[in-house]
Amino acid sequence: MISCDYFKPSEVGEALKLVSQFKERALFAAGCTNILPDIHSGKQKDCVLIDISDLEELTGISKCGNSMRIGSSTTISELLDSSLIRDETPLLYEAALNFADPVVRNRATVGGNLAYASPAADMAVPLLALDSRVVVQSLDQGLREISLREFFVGPGKTVLSPSELILRVEFNLSQNFKVFYVKVGKRNAMAISLASLGLALKIDQTIKDARLALGALAPTPIRAWRTEDFLMGKFPEDKVMEEASEILLSEINPISDIRGSREYRVELTRSLFKRAFRAILSGERGLS
Amino acid sequence: MELKVIGKGVPKYDAWGKVKGEIIYADDFTMPGMLYGKVFRASVPRAKILSIDTSRAEKLPGVHAVITHKDIPRNNLKARFGQGSEIGAQFEGLYRVLAEGEVRYFGEPIALIAAEAPEITDKACELIDVQYEPLPGVFDPLEAMKPEAPQVGEKANNIASHFKIRKGNVEEGFAQAQVIVEGFYQVGYQDHAYLELESGVAWVDDDGTIVIRVSSQVIEHFREVAEVLGLPHSKVRYIGTLIGGGFGGKEDITVESYLALLAWKTRKPVKLTYTRKESLLVHSKRHPYYMYYKTGATRDGKIVALEARLISDAGSYAALSPWVLLYSTVDAAGPYNIPNIKVDSYAAMTNTPITSAFRGFGAPQVNFAYESQMNQLAQKLGIDPLELRKKNLLKQGDYLATGYVYDRPVPLDVLAEKAWKALGPKEESKKPHIKVGRGLAVGMCSYGRLTFLHDTSRSYLRLELDGSAVIRCGVPDVGGGQGHILTQIVSEELGVPLDLIKIHVTDSQLTPLAGTTTATRQLYMSGNATLKAARELKKRMIAKAAQLLSVKEEDLVVDQGKVVSRNDPTKYIALVPLINRMSADGEELFVEAQFNAPFTDVPESEIIEGRTHPDFTFGAYAVEVAVDEETGKVDLKRIVAAFDVGKALNPILVEGQIEGGAVQGMGYALMEDMVIKDGIIQTPSFAEYLIPTSKDVPDVEPLIMESMTGLGPYGAKGIGEPPIVGIAPAIVDAIDDACGVRITSLPATAEKILMEVKNRNKEKRAS
Amino acid sequence: MKNYKLVTIFVNERPVTAPVEPHESLLDFLRHKAGAVEVKCGCNQGDCGTCTVLFKGKAVKSCLVLALQANEKDVRTIKGFTGDFLMEKLQESFVRNGAVQCGFCTPGMLISSYAFLQANPQPTREEIKTAISGNLCRCTGYKKIIDAVEEAAFGEASTKKATSSGSPEISEGQEEVKGTYLLLGGG
Repeated sequence: MISCDYFKPSEVGEALKLVSQFKERALFAAGCTNILPDIHSGKQKDCVLIDISDLEELTGISKCGNSMRIGSSTTISELLDSSLIRDETPLLYEAALNFADPVVRNRATVGGNLAYASPAADMAVPLLALDSRVVVQSLDQGLREISLREFFVGPGKTVLSPSELILRVEFNLSQNFKVFYVKVGKRNAMAISLASLGLALKIDQTIKDARLALGALAPTPIRAWRTEDFLMGKFPEDKVMEEASEILLSEINPISDIRGSREYRVELTRSLFKRAFRAILSGERGLS
Repeated sequence: MELKVIGKGVPKYDAWGKVKGEIIYADDFTMPGMLYGKVFRASVPRAKILSIDTSRAEKLPGVHAVITHKDIPRNNLKARFGQGSEIGAQFEGLYRVLAEGEVRYFGEPIALIAAEAPEITDKACELIDVQYEPLPGVFDPLEAMKPEAPQVGEKANNIASHFKIRKGNVEEGFAQAQVIVEGFYQVGYQDHAYLELESGVAWVDDDGTIVIRVSSQVIEHFREVAEVLGLPHSKVRYIGTLIGGGFGGKEDITVESYLALLAWKTRKPVKLTYTRKESLLVHSKRHPYYMYYKTGATRDGKIVALEARLISDAGSYAALSPWVLLYSTVDAAGPYNIPNIKVDSYAAMTNTPITSAFRGFGAPQVNFAYESQMNQLAQKLGIDPLELRKKNLLKQGDYLATGYVYDRPVPLDVLAEKAWKALGPKEESKKPHIKVGRGLAVGMCSYGRLTFLHDTSRSYLRLELDGSAVIRCGVPDVGGGQGHILTQIVSEELGVPLDLIKIHVTDSQLTPLAGTTTATRQLYMSGNATLKAARELKKRMIAKAAQLLSVKEEDLVVDQGKVVSRNDPTKYIALVPLINRMSADGEELFVEAQFNAPFTDVPESEIIEGRTHPDFTFGAYAVEVAVDEETGKVDLKRIVAAFDVGKALNPILVEGQIEGGAVQGMGYALMEDMVIKDGIIQTPSFAEYLIPTSKDVPDVEPLIMESMTGLGPYGAKGIGEPPIVGIAPAIVDAIDDACGVRITSLPATAEKILMEVKNRNKEKRAS
Repeated sequence: MKNYKLVTIFVNERPVTAPVEPHESLLDFLRHKAGAVEVKCGCNQGDCGTCTVLFKGKAVKSCLVLALQANEKDVRTIKGFTGDFLMEKLQESFVRNGAVQCGFCTPGMLISSYAFLQANPQPTREEIKTAISGNLCRCTGYKKIIDAVEEAAFGEASTKKATSSGSPEISEGQEEVKGTYLLLGGG
C-alpha cells in the first residue's frame, strides 16, 4: 500500500524546514514527471511530497551581467519560450527542443531533471558544457554553490544531502564559443537518450577552449576531461579529431540495456563526436 | 446509375461523439455498488503449482470474492474463437480460464479478486500465497521442436500445428534454376499497443442473465463464457462498446470470463481494467517466426521453384496459432505464379505469453521473407526489381500455391509501377554520412475468414413511417467505421438521407449477430448482409409502387426520396406515403438478412489445397529512406502505398486504413522491439516498447485503385489488414539500396544497421 | 491509516471538492472523483498523452500532476470548450478530415492541438507534427490529424495538405481486365 504525505510550503524557508524534518522520505515535487511514474510503478511507496511548483523564488530566467540564472522550477517549455536562452545559450536551447515531448516539457523542470540524476538527464549535458553551478540551500548547511561537474555521483545519485533544495542553476556566458548538440534516441520524440553530446569549442587559429559533455554513456552525465585537455592548443583538423575521438572512448563507460548495447553506444560516441567537431568547423548550427 | 452516397468521404456517425468526449468507452462506465476486479498472476514462467492459499486475501476487509480454478464450473474449454460449430483437427486449442496445477507462462492468471476499491485488490494480491515448484521451461520454438524439449502443452510433442504445401516438384524446379537465393529470416513479437486498455464491466440481471459490457472484437464469445459458467448460451449477453483500438488484440477473450465469474460470484457489478504493464506483459501478441527460404530462378528472371520452412512461436496456449500458421502457409510463396512450391510450416509451443491474432494474421511475417527474397534475387540477377515482379506476378486465371485457380484480376504490376513511379526523381543527400535509398515490395492479404469456417453475417433494417430508418447489426466497431459504412449502404439503396438513419451495433442479444470484426471481413460480410436487407426492402417498395402507379417494376427506381419511373418522371410516389401505404396494407417494412461466405471443408490432413479464403487484396509499397550511416538511424522520407480496394465506399476511411496500417507496419519494421528473456518480457511499458510518434513518419501517400472486382458491396475488397503487408520488406530493401546492408531480422533497429554498415566497411577494406 | 486531504479543483469551471490521497494524480481525480471520464488513461506513466488536459493554460499529461497540485486551480477537459471558436473549428476539422478512427487519442490530441494553435496560429506542417509528438495514435498514422490541424489553422481553401502523386489519373485502359481502373491520388 502506498502511504505518502503532502505539504505545500508558501516559501522556500518553509520548504527547507519540511525537508529537514522528513529527510530521506522527502521528495520535492515540481513537475512530477518522474515522481508520479515512480509511485505508480512501486518505486516510491512512502514519500513526503513537498510541493514547490508555485514557489516564486524558484522561478525565472534572468541575465545578470555576464551570468545567466535559471530558477530550478523553470520548465523546459519556459526555456524554449525565452529569447535569452534561444539567443545566448543555443546548446541549452537545442537540448530543450529534444527533451521528451512538448506536453511533458510544460511540466518537467530544470531542477527536477538534475535532481533525478538519470545518467541520460537531458538538461545535464548542456549545463555541464556551460560549466554550470547549482545553487542549493538547506537549514543545516545554508546556501551552497556546487559545480555541476561534481554534482552527479552515480545513477540517480547526487551530492545533495536529503535536506537540500536546488534554488537555481547559474553559468557564465562565454563569448566566441561555437557549439553543437546532438541526441540520439530510438525514435524522434518521447525518447530516452541512447547517447547525447554537447560540444563547445573556442577557436582562434588553435583550439583555445574545449568543453565536451556526454549523457547516457556513463553512470552519470560527464565532462570528458582528458579529451578536452588533449584538444587545447591543437589545430582543429582531422587527425586531431580522430585522436580526440579515441581518447574520448576511454572516458565513457556505457552499459548494455534494452535500448542498446555497449558496443553500439561506443560507436555512437565516436560518430557523434566527429559529427559535432566537423559541424562546428563548418559553421553548421545545432542538431545533426 | 451514379452512386450518390457510396464513394463519398462522409464523416462517420461516431466521429462527433468522439471529438466531444461523449463516448463511454469500456472503462468509463460505472454502476452503483460496483466492485473492482483484478487478476492475480504467476510470477514464474514455468512451474508446478503445489498449493494456492487465498484465505488471507479473502479475509481482507473490502474483498468480496477470490476465485481460483476450483471455483469455476468449466475451467478448461475447447477454444472455438466465436465459432458456432466444432472445427476439429489442428484448429482447436485449449482455453483455460485460470491456471490449474501448473504455470505455463509468466503472468498466467491464477486467481481473480473482486473488492470495493482498486487499492484493496492490490493489497489482496499481496496476501495470496502460491507454492511453486519450478520446472524447466523452453523459450524458443526451435528448441521446443527438439525431441528432448520439455513439454509445454497438452501434447507430448510441442508442435501445435503443421501444414504443408506441395505444388509441382521442387527438386526438378531447382534443377532447372540457374540462380538460387537462400535466406534465413527472423521476425519478433509485435504488440497491438491499442491506446485503450482491455476493460469491461459485468453484472447479473434481475433474471440471472450475465451481462458483460466490454471492449471486444468478438461478441460471439458469449457462448464460451456461458460454457465456462455452465449456463445456457441465452443467459450470457455481451454489450460491445466502441473499441479504442483492436487490431486483433481484443479478438480472443480478454477480461470477459473474469468479469462474468466475479459478477456471478458476488452478484454485484464488477469492473476490470488491465494496466499497461499487465497488458504488455501478458496479452496476446503477433507470432515471432523463423523462416528459411530458398528461391530458384532462370537467368532471365523466371522463378521456377520456391521452398520455405516456417516456424512460429505458438506461445504456451495455442489460441489462434494454427490459424495464423495456415494463413502464413497459404501466403508463403507470395502473389507469384511459381510452378514448383514446397512449404512446411510448424507452430511450436513455448513457455511464453500467448501469441494470437494481429492485423495481417501471419501474412506480414512471410511477406517480409518472400519479398526480401525477391529483392535479393533481383540484385543477384541484375534485373530491375519492378521487372522481376512483372515477370512473375500472378495473373487472373493462375493457380495459387494451394492449387486454387484465382479467377479475379491481380493488378499488382500496375500497382507496383504506379507506386514506384510516384517516387519521382531521386534527390541524393548532400551530406556524406546520409545515404538515400529506395525499396519496392508487393503483398497479398486475404479478406474474409477461412472458408472452412462457414462464415455468415446478419443485419436487420427497418423503415420508419416518417421515412427514417433503423439498422441493427451486431458488428463490433474498432474505429474503422464498421458501423458507419452500413448506414452509407442503406442510404444509397433506399435513398434515405444519412442523418435519418440510426444504427444500433454490437449487442449479442438485441442485434443480429454479424460475426467477428477480424480477418478484414466486416465490409464483406455485414456489408453484404445489410445490402441484401436493403435490396429486399427496396424490392418490396418497388413492387408496391408498381402496383400503385400501374408501372412495370423494371421501370422503377428509388431516387431522391421517391420511387419514380425511369421513362416518365411524372409517375412517382414519395417514400413516406409509399411506406405508410405498405404499413397499412400489412406489408413487412423490416428485413433481417443473412449473407453466407463461400463454404469449403476443413482440411483433412496437413496438406493445404484448394480454396482457403473468399478473396485477397493486393497492394504495393514504394519507400524512400535516408540512412544515417554513422548512427544507423533511418529517416523514412516517403511511403507510397498503392492498393486495389475494389471500390472505395468511403475514400477517407479507406485512406485512413492505408495510412494507419502503413505506420503500424513501419513500427513493426523499425522500432517495435519486444525484448523477452527466459519467457519474461523486459519491455513492459510504452517507454520501452516504442510505437511511432508523429515525428517518426512521413505523410503516407495512398494510391487507390478501384477494380470493382471485390466480393464486398459494390465490388469492394477489404482494406483493414492489407496495408500492414508489404511495407516492412520495402523499408528493408530501401535500407539495402541506401547503404548496401541487408537486414534479415525485424525490427531493423539503428543498432543492427550500424553494426552491419561497420561490417560492410570492414569487408570492403579487407578486400 | 490512510491520509486524505480535501481538494477543490475547478473542472471546466465547476468546483469539484473531494478527499484525495497525497499520491493521487489529477487523472485519478478527474476520472474517479469528478466524473470526467472524457479524460482517458492509456498508460498512467506519461508515455501516451491520452490524459492530456489544459492546466494553468498549458497542455499537460494529467497522470503527471498530483491532484493536490491542482487545488483551487482550473482544469479544462475536452468537455470544457462549448462555444469556443477555435476548438469547435478543430473538432469539425477532425470530423471532416477522417482524423478520428477509434477516438481514444482524440480528446488529448485535440487539447494539445488547441494549446498549440493558440500560441502558433500559422504553423508549418513540421511544427504541427512536433506539437502532437507527445500524443500517440495507433490508428490513423497521424496524417489526417495533421491535415485537420492545418485546416483548422488555415481554412479549407488554403490547405497545405500533403498530396500523393498529384492529380488523379483516370482509366489506365487495362484492356485485359474488366471494369474501370481508377487510380486516385490521396489527400
